Amino acid sequence: MGMTYRRYLAGARVYGCSNCRTHLSTINSMISKAFHGQHGRAYLFEEVVNVIEGEPVDRQMTTGNHTVRDIECVKCHVILGWKYDFAYDSDQKYKEGKYILERNLLVDVQ
Amino acid sequence: MHISAAPTPIVSPNITPEAGPSTVPFKANGHTTNGATNGFVSSTTPSPSSNGLTHRPLITRVNLPGSTLYDDSHIDREEFVRLVIQTLRDVGYTQSATTLEEESGYAMETPPVAHFRRKVLEGAWQEAVDALADLGLAEDSGLTEAKCLIIQQKYLELLETGKTTEALHILRDELASLHPDATHLHFLSGLLMCTDAADLQQRASWDGAEGSSRRRLLVDLQHWIPSSIMIPPRRFPALLDQALRYQSSQCLWHNTPARSLSLYNDHHCEDDLFPRHNTFNLVSHEDEVWNLEWSHTGRRLATASQDKSVIVWSVEQADGEVTIQPQLHLKDHPFAVGCVAWSFDDTVLLSSSDHIIKMWDTKTGSCIRSIETAHTETVSALAWVPDGSGFVSGSQDRKIILWGADGKQRDSWGFTPIRITDLAISADYTRLVAVGECAPSPSALGGPSSSREDSATPPAPGRTAFAGATSSSPRLGEYQMIVYDPRTKQMDFAVPLEGQLTSVKISADSRYALINNAPDEIHLWDLLTQRMVRKYTGQRQGRHIIRSCFGGVDENFIVSGSEGAIYVWHRVRGMLLIVLEGHGPGSVNSVAWNPRFPQMFASCSDDYTVRIWQAIPAVKLAFASTSDGIDAGAGDGVSGKGKGKRREPWDNPSSL
Repeated sequence: MGMTYRRYLAGARVYGCSNCRTHLSTINSMISKAFHGQHGRAYLFEEVVNVIEGEPVDRQMTTGNHTVRDIECVKCHVILGWKYDFAYDSDQKYKEGKYILERNLLVDVQ
Repeated sequence: MHISAAPTPIVSPNITPEAGPSTVPFKANGHTTNGATNGFVSSTTPSPSSNGLTHRPLITRVNLPGSTLYDDSHIDREEFVRLVIQTLRDVGYTQSATTLEEESGYAMETPPVAHFRRKVLEGAWQEAVDALADLGLAEDSGLTEAKCLIIQQKYLELLETGKTTEALHILRDELASLHPDATHLHFLSGLLMCTDAADLQQRASWDGAEGSSRRRLLVDLQHWIPSSIMIPPRRFPALLDQALRYQSSQCLWHNTPARSLSLYNDHHCEDDLFPRHNTFNLVSHEDEVWNLEWSHTGRRLATASQDKSVIVWSVEQADGEVTIQPQLHLKDHPFAVGCVAWSFDDTVLLSSSDHIIKMWDTKTGSCIRSIETAHTETVSALAWVPDGSGFVSGSQDRKIILWGADGKQRDSWGFTPIRITDLAISADYTRLVAVGECAPSPSALGGPSSSREDSATPPAPGRTAFAGATSSSPRLGEYQMIVYDPRTKQMDFAVPLEGQLTSVKISADSRYALINNAPDEIHLWDLLTQRMVRKYTGQRQGRHIIRSCFGGVDENFIVSGSEGAIYVWHRVRGMLLIVLEGHGPGSVNSVAWNPRFPQMFASCSDDYTVRIWQAIPAVKLAFASTSDGIDAGAGDGVSGKGKGKRREPWDNPSSL
């Protein structure tokens, strides 16, 4: 893999890991706030950085069956949400390649 | 001591021109058929008693035709002989020098020059000034400037001995009327305020009457006196040095210490002297190895790994056999380790693990101090201050902090304009070079109205030492090299650079910075002229942190890791010399040349290993002989259990 530094984001609002403040995404990258995760409200993001993606698994959600990967913080390894690899329902296709971050696990950082 | 005259010139006209000083029979009758026309002719009638030698043979003057050394040579005979005389006299062969002067008819310098030199060295300033006129200096050709230099020395020496009143007279009556440069006069008058001689010497960058200042004055005066009248000091050795340096620069695989170069032959290194053989494969780390650094003795190697540990390896040699053992395993890191740095005396090792800095006792392996709150993001660089009084840390949180050797914070640069990816301090402590990615200042952010573009403004004045020095407005995501003066924290200059900057090293002469410029270039910057002077290409590093180093005798090589292999270039020519395969899959993350044994370097890789590279076995003996008297460091029994030492055969073809 090789050595890399964590990436840092800039913008009006930067979301970080509530545990270690590692930068994850920005408000510019947010698609929707109307999602629910294991810990309550969750946000859908176009792009998320500094996460490690887990193995793909099929998971039944309220909006249908999806292939998802859990994503964890690259520094503290807390599970922060998931990434959609594949949506079985055609009207859920827009989520493919996008990320869910749990609101309760996020903190504003700068 | 037996005094012999110069060898009798060969008079046979059949001799080849190279074999003797002349191909033409000389006239032994003392007529000055040459030399007198373009040079100074010493006394043609040497008196045996003139120098007190009673048995001194009468020297016969040798007169040669022409003015060059040989018929087919462009070298002026008079110039050559005078340089020989100067050298002989310099090293103490004064009688040979006198003999040569008499035999050749050339004098090293005229009596007025000798007189002038003597007066300057004696500090007889008035006589020295008077003597200037005899050296051919006129009002319009440096006489005033030379006078100024001499009187300035007189002034400084008066100040040094506390004769302030006299010094003031000199300044007012002599210097002020002569000196054209008001600011320099102002500087000189300021020196009147110096508290003592030491203060004066420091402020004037001058080492006193007892130091080398009078000899340096002579060198400075040389500027106004024609070299043909007063020969620059040590001129002949200087020319020979140039020849050796040129030969070394032409030697592609040059890795031989200057002291072993000979004047008898043109120098040429065999490529076998280059450490191209993988002699050791150190396998104790349990994850990717990211960085490494040799101790100053060259007998210990610290390696930093993603496995959250540092291993200190000891390099021992006995009976010419080199062995490498893991000596200390420093495990107490919460995250992967990115940097290691040995203190000046090798007693303390620093390591950085994410935002934490740890100080380790290299004798016992115990943690002396853990600095956990100063930086908030990954510490990307650790560098000791050259005098060992402390160290500097640089971080992705944009801060540069100066620490004492005790691990207490002494100073801080505050927020720099960049997220630092690496930094280095020059050996003379005049430069700190930091590289990193331009980042918005926290103070410039915060409000919801601040857009991406607004946030790229430099930090607010007063927050940081360099505030206001940023002339260019850096763009986010752009990388910069910033050069600071570490003594004042002031920015010297900053250069925006394309690509991702992942590593910086400074040459031993403090003048050049070597910077890895991902994805595929390494740049050599001249910090004096602020220009890039060389590019090394061929390797690839993608977006990974890959480091390079200078290497070999005179730092003749540039070495870098890459995605896969080790790349070696000729530093001056920029030519790719060799690609060393051997590491497994993944990147070679860093390389480090042994500071004491120029025929050895180490590399570390994603394949969990550290590899040692050496020259062929014949050269291994040279390693053995040069390591005499070197303390093996803290060799107090951390048993290596033989683990991690896997010896590669010398003739391993895969290492070629």
